[in-house]
Amino acid sequence: MGQDSWAKRQSRPSITLIAASLIAFLAASLPLFYLFRRAIDAEISEISLILFRSKTLEILATTLGLTIAVTALSTLIGIALAWTLFNIDLPFRSTLQALVILPVAIPSYVFTYSWISLIPGFKGLWAALFVLVLATTPYITLTTLAALRRSDWSTYEVAQTLGLNGLQIFVRVTWPQIKNSVAAGSLLSALYVLSDFGAISLLGVDTLTRAIENIYRGSFDRSSASILALILVAISALVIRLEERSRQRLHIIKSSNRIIKRAKTNDKLKVKLIALFGIGSYLALGLAIPLFQLLSIFLANSTSINYSLLFKASISTLIAACLGALIALALALPVGVLSAQGSRLGRVSDKAILIVHALPGIVMGLALVSFGSSIPWLYQSLLLLSFAYALLFMAKAVGSVRSSVDRVPKNLIEISATLGLPKSATFRRVVIPIATPGLLSGTLLVLLAAMKELPATLMLKPIGFETLATQMWSYSSIFRFNEAAPYALLLVLIAAIPTFLINRPDKGDGIGGDQI
Amino acid sequence: MSSLEIRDLTVELGDRIILKNLDLSISSGSFAAILGPSGCGKTTLLRSIAGLITPKGGAIRFGKQLVSVSSLVLPPHKRNIGYVPQEGGLFPHLSVEENVSFSLGKKTSKKERDELVEELLDLVGMPNYQKRLPQELSGGQQTRIALARALAMKPAMILLDEPFAALDQTLRSEISQEVVALLKSSKTTSIMVTHDREDALVSADIIALMRDGQVVQSGSPSEVYLKPISAAAAESTGDILTLPANKIEGNQYLSPLNSPVEQIGQRAGYESGQILVRPEEIALNLEPGERRVSAKISKINYYGHDALVELNFAGLSQVVRARVTDTKGLEVGSNIFVSHKGPIRWVPEKATDQ
Repeated sequence: MGQDSWAKRQSRPSITLIAASLIAFLAASLPLFYLFRRAIDAEISEISLILFRSKTLEILATTLGLTIAVTALSTLIGIALAWTLFNIDLPFRSTLQALVILPVAIPSYVFTYSWISLIPGFKGLWAALFVLVLATTPYITLTTLAALRRSDWSTYEVAQTLGLNGLQIFVRVTWPQIKNSVAAGSLLSALYVLSDFGAISLLGVDTLTRAIENIYRGSFDRSSASILALILVAISALVIRLEERSRQRLHIIKSSNRIIKRAKTNDKLKVKLIALFGIGSYLALGLAIPLFQLLSIFLANSTSINYSLLFKASISTLIAACLGALIALALALPVGVLSAQGSRLGRVSDKAILIVHALPGIVMGLALVSFGSSIPWLYQSLLLLSFAYALLFMAKAVGSVRSSVDRVPKNLIEISATLGLPKSATFRRVVIPIATPGLLSGTLLVLLAAMKELPATLMLKPIGFETLATQMWSYSSIFRFNEAAPYALLLVLIAAIPTFLINRPDKGDGIGGDQI
Repeated sequence: MSSLEIRDLTVELGDRIILKNLDLSISSGSFAAILGPSGCGKTTLLRSIAGLITPKGGAIRFGKQLVSVSSLVLPPHKRNIGYVPQEGGLFPHLSVEENVSFSLGKKTSKKERDELVEELLDLVGMPNYQKRLPQELSGGQQTRIALARALAMKPAMILLDEPFAALDQTLRSEISQEVVALLKSSKTTSIMVTHDREDALVSADIIALMRDGQVVQSGSPSEVYLKPISAAAAESTGDILTLPANKIEGNQYLSPLNSPVEQIGQRAGYESGQILVRPEEIALNLEPGERRVSAKISKINYYGHDALVELNFAGLSQVVRARVTDTKGLEVGSNIFVSHKGPIRWVPEKATDQ
């Protein structure tokens, strides 16, 4: 007879859960399968020609250089912002904390568009560096702030009493407690740059994503595009691996959080002014100027706006993104639950989904074009587009499902059983209701990402179906900024709602903090 | 309600044996306390009774129903057991009335449900709390609601896993007395796990003392306190001194407190042994007298309602502690005359002629 506890047996996955998780695993494997299939269509000589021509190496160097530079800069700025907001007693601190995160709602191509329309000749690698740093900094600020809130505040006070100064406390006490979260934020930043298509295309920088799009659009050569896409996948996988290796197991034992409600903050006027200047500069460049520019263009041309087209694009954006978020939740739920229960299938599926999450939108688009073109009724349908959103962003939902199911106290499941409820009823009446806020948060994360998605949407959208992103893109790529403005502005406003809901200031440590 | 009979229960978790051939009997309608130090296996025992752990061997019987034996392990949801864990374990997403009525099936009408909830909330002294959420309740209130929830299913037995551990001292005493009175009046067989000996002695009809995965002694509170079967059992219910007793002649032995010990029956004939003495059984006298032994006061720990006086005896390396209610005339460094006023508890140490 088994010696395991009832709780362990209780957590054994049901057949339905295993079957649903397998479906999610197969769905996640689909784009990778189609990429490989396309790539092996090419001759070896053709592959080596593509891989080793000087243009490819140049593109590769630009991609890697830009990724490293943006990640390094945004990590530095992100940590500085988070540390400042956490440690300095600033006026309206919770509002500032919400505002520095808000640029997440602005897609990189909207940033670029607003700066190009403001500064004619805004172009090239430096411009790309500037825009991408502004766009990716909130990911690091968010994860670092969440880690600082979770850290043991009493250790800072103990370090002070042991004679350490501010810098020493940061290096020896704070950094070890936050470095995993900083690394997670930097990973998001690196993957963002690797997969970015909109900003670098508008700024004329040749990176892998732009090269893939050019080959695909220019010659419809899917094999060559797939080879470049696989290089991009390999780099992304390498970045994920690096982040995994740098991560250390960290157990923070909060020794006295009941006593010390809040870390002591610095309230010197000079320090406050410097901090406000720094945060203000970031908010001006990352939020106020782009929004002001969008608003100015919008107001200057408000009479010539085609409101019916704008309305139609908004509805299309919401429908496609909502459908994608629901599919993502349906696929993520069994995987997240299995993963929380420690099942091997759950962990394998989770990993596959994470790799797919690292796929740039353009690569996903390419893979699903190959998949969809063999099924006529699916090709260029709303369903395929939403499916692409679901696959691209499912990892966000899986993370939320896993952590929220994991947070359901095990003793409540046991109590439910002693009160006479079988496993399925316990899942329905205890686990799901308690995990619901986390599940909603995960769905919102997918919704937010899907609304902003551009490259896969451009490839997979049904004919005549325009989202706010594609409509804005079609105008701004031909420098018709006045027509693009209302779409960009509306997209930012709509995306700001889920961003605010996920990271609202009254929420302790921001559930979405590590995942957005 | 039903009685509980456990025979030869063995539980292994991973490579560790947590319970080993444990036997326990609790009669129907009584309030039992499982008392033991942390890590002795008392929570594992409770979880085995609830069906949350599958034993390796042995049998558990509720009344006439066999709920756990090698070929059959009834799952927890079929055992009809009310389980009250530490801090109550209320469902945070449900209101008080939803928590209390959680176990009621769809066959129960809304009217019946409302009436039962009202009745149970009255019983636990929290009327009109139906709409409150668990996070709006204090620790003591949460425990009471958890009890009402357990009682709603009319359980055969109620299991309480250190239910008052999270409460502060004053509230703890108040709530535990209320809960125990309530359970006793409902005549539900109740088993409470605790490491607090006062909780156990005050509340229980039966105390089962646990050590290293086994029940070492069970009986009424006075029985286990006054007649411990070993030094370990004695330690579980209160402070205890273990003093040597050496053979003088025949069946006569003498302890450092000068108390003569006469052994009879099968215990007779041991070369030496130990006696167990509670600190309150040592009398301190300012004057010498018959059977009084001189000792020096090395320390006085004052607790308000009483004090522990540490004594050094000539020729005994061990410090002896005496509990007194009056410290008048006692001074550190002075000599005092000690006598033994309690029953002699003999623990045989070494046999010479068996």
